[in-house]
Amino acid sequence: MSLPADNAPASRQAGVHEESRPSLAALLIDPSFWADWASVVGLVGLVILFGVTSPVFLSVANMQAILLAAAILVVLSIGQTFVVATSGIDLSLAASVMLGAVILGLIHAAGLGIFAACVLAVLATSAIGLMNGLLITAGRIPDFVVTLGTLSGITGLGLILSGGEPTMVGSTFLLKLASGYLGPFGYPVWVAIAAVLVAHVALYHTRFGVHLLATGGQAESASALGIRTNRVKIAAYTISGFCAGIASILLVARIGSAEPQINTSLLLNSVAAVVLGGVSLFGGRASILGPAIGALMLTALVNGLTLLSVSAFYQPLAVGVIVVLAALIMRYQK
Amino acid sequence: MSTVNHIAPSEAILACQGLSKHFGGIRAFTDVGFQARRGEVTAVIGDNGAGKSTLIRCLVGVHVPDGGTIYFDGRQQPFSNPDEARKSGIETVHQNLALIDELTVAQNLFLNREIVRRIGPFALLDRKAMKDQARAMLSRLSINVPSVTQRVRRLSGGQRQAISICRAAGSGAKLVVMDEPTAALGVQETANVEALIRKLREQGVSVILISHNFDQVRRLSDQIWVMRAGKMVATVRSSETTGNELVALVTGAA
Amino acid sequence: MRMFNCLALGAGLLATTFAVPAHAEDAKVAAIVKGLDNPFFQTMQKGIEEQAKADGVGVNVQAAANMGDATGQADKLTAMALQDYDCYLVNPISVSNLVQALVPVAQKKKPIVNIDSTIDAEQAKAAGFAVSTYIGTDNVAAGALAGEEMLKLVPKGSKVALVAGIVGDVGSNARIKGFKQAVEGKLDVVVMVSADWDREKALTAATDILAAHPDLAGFFAANDIMALGVERAVQTSGKDVKVIGLDGIVDALKSVAAGELTATVAQYPYVVGAMGVEACKLAAKGKELPANVPAPVLLINKDNAEASLKNFPRPGGDYPDPLREMLK
Ligand SMILES: Nc1ncnc2c1ncn2[C@@H]1O[C@H](COP(=O)(O)OP(=O)(O)OP(=O)(O)O)[C@@H](O)[C@H]1O
Ligand SMILES: [Mg+2]
Repeated sequence: MSLPADNAPASRQAGVHEESRPSLAALLIDPSFWADWASVVGLVGLVILFGVTSPVFLSVANMQAILLAAAILVVLSIGQTFVVATSGIDLSLAASVMLGAVILGLIHAAGLGIFAACVLAVLATSAIGLMNGLLITAGRIPDFVVTLGTLSGITGLGLILSGGEPTMVGSTFLLKLASGYLGPFGYPVWVAIAAVLVAHVALYHTRFGVHLLATGGQAESASALGIRTNRVKIAAYTISGFCAGIASILLVARIGSAEPQINTSLLLNSVAAVVLGGVSLFGGRASILGPAIGALMLTALVNGLTLLSVSAFYQPLAVGVIVVLAALIMRYQK
Repeated sequence: MSTVNHIAPSEAILACQGLSKHFGGIRAFTDVGFQARRGEVTAVIGDNGAGKSTLIRCLVGVHVPDGGTIYFDGRQQPFSNPDEARKSGIETVHQNLALIDELTVAQNLFLNREIVRRIGPFALLDRKAMKDQARAMLSRLSINVPSVTQRVRRLSGGQRQAISICRAAGSGAKLVVMDEPTAALGVQETANVEALIRKLREQGVSVILISHNFDQVRRLSDQIWVMRAGKMVATVRSSETTGNELVALVTGAA
Repeated sequence: MRMFNCLALGAGLLATTFAVPAHAEDAKVAAIVKGLDNPFFQTMQKGIEEQAKADGVGVNVQAAANMGDATGQADKLTAMALQDYDCYLVNPISVSNLVQALVPVAQKKKPIVNIDSTIDAEQAKAAGFAVSTYIGTDNVAAGALAGEEMLKLVPKGSKVALVAGIVGDVGSNARIKGFKQAVEGKLDVVVMVSADWDREKALTAATDILAAHPDLAGFFAANDIMALGVERAVQTSGKDVKVIGLDGIVDALKSVAAGELTATVAQYPYVVGAMGVEACKLAAKGKELPANVPAPVLLINKDNAEASLKNFPRPGGDYPDPLREMLK
């Protein structure tokens, strides 16, 4: 079928203006440009600052250390990004990492082999994400309440399964994963890079990505257009759980044991990285590079402050200041 | 007083019988019978809150009605969700549920109907094709937007309305449902939309039109259905009615 | 742009305010302790810093963000390992979380002084290093000290109850184990509950236990916070039940001095930190360090509570310190 093109009223000049790229100067005075690039600006600022004040900061070894240290947070921020893009939040993220680690440790200790242990850990955390998604959509319970409940539930589950005891995981595979290098980067960094690439393609180059943003933007409109918004949300939480599983493998590899302890700073920093990355907490607007760079920035911040011998008391303060500043800048985001 | 005249099922593209819907304690409409003839423009009129939009949403799968039956193209209870309705060939311009602010014009135009390229097992968006086709769709309908890569948030109310009409009209649907399509439009844009509706009719596309503009309704439609306070109270041929009669039917003063 | 300037300026201020000027010092020590969200480790940090000042040693004390921040602690140690410190003082969150971060330290042949919580010797060995020395308190011995005091306070065969920390916590287990060994066959342990190191939970649990066992003679709580909760429950019940805690925090010392809490076994994180710095100084002088140095544990009751309070966070009286002897 053709469209009414021939006799459409032609009294007004029809059509779409050619896209014009704004000039660089115009960009530089536009606050929303800075808002979009807050994490990059922050990272560059920190690198310059610490590079000048600490001779070790810019050394290759320290750069590698920062990247290695950031890998877990990058993976988690990606998971959190998918959830936040649907205008939700996953408060159970760090607890899932703990549970994944505990399951990995127990299965490895049971002698089922490290690969089975890793796969089952990821399956378990993905299942938690799936459950979060189902409770939020089918159960119609607010995301905040559900993931808070899961947080508590899996904290208990982790303690019960582990008996509160850490489990040693002496696996050569994990040791290699944690300490091996391929080219300039350690394996965990490659894992994070791969996660960034896959997530970026999923968000920007697939139907799922568009539907995710539509769901986060205006769920009702999206569903009126036939998008299964509930499925999209469930998928987002499952992805978040999957990322928690990957992070738990990296975590166990890094510290050599599976501990039933929750690292709350991982949760807080994942949300902070998402905010720094310019992702709207109201949903509908997201990127992957932004949060990844946000995670890198938070890691570089702690690294630099440590090198400068800034007391540990001041470090959370610095992180807090930066995150609030970023949120302030975000107000300029149009 | 109602003059509901039944037509043969094969003549109706979309019809319903005994349809009811309530939200908690609020009754949107009860026991509604309605038919839209194939190839015609069917108008639904009624005062604010009469239940027009809710009826439409039930017909196209957005809401699940509490009771009654719906027929589309001779099939009974055709859709359980909007996706199925769209796949069967119904496009809808919703009154409030229109565009996603954070997406671009092109993304909105192709929402849930994205063009993909298959690369092995993966399907990646063909963004260039969508942008090109979006430009073509917009210019065919003489719709002015700064750029198809512009976020919809920054567009004017009329531009947004035009884009959602463009999405519904440009996809080759059998039935296009428009809920107050010209409410936010200027004189020229309104004329464009009216021309578009005539064009769709000429091409054999059925149209359901909701409007508060009785002149427009009489100009464009073949059949008019009147709702009042959640009931379908009358239906008349457009050629056989007057503006005064419509006012009387809508207000219940007849 | 404005925001960026603020950011840079703020961070710059931070940097200049807190950066430690590099004086000519005998040695530079990098210290990493557990989360500073716990007063125990704050006191340890104080011990490290004051001892370093007294000894003319430069020190950078870092800490994990919280007690669960195993990787964050490792990351900070990794950063410090890149800098030129003469000695690394480490109090790991878990037995293994700092192992990888210590590899480059060991490669540079810098001494590693392990304080408070142990590093798993086998994992260290697998990673190719061994710690130079371990300084810490023996939790089993501390629990035993509490048990011996309880034996003195209540008649033989009396009923006692135990209040443990978080289920499975290694420190809690060791303390409870020490107490049990000391009272084995002499007292009747009627119940053990877990109160998650929490004062309120301990209070609730103790109230229930007192109701269930009206003839209970004593409580042992695995830390002072819980002991203070238990003491409150005992006070409310109006019974004469002995309560012994463990840690030696200020509130507990005050309570003992006021005649409320019966006794506590004091460990001295301050001394552990200070001894760590002494060990670093010894290592810098090229002295051979003993593999294992016990830190002091003292029983505090009404007789010595005042003196302990006065000296807090240092011990009330003199204490044995083999490292101090070696430094002379
Ligand atoms: N999602 C909803 N939840 C609760 N009540 C609703 C909902 N949608 C519609 N209603 C109620 O149903 C009734 C009919 O509303 P509807 O939107 O169908 O009216 P309308 O005829 O389209 O009016 P208008 O001409 O103003 O668009 C109103 O009383 C409205 O408040
Ligand atoms: Mg309406």
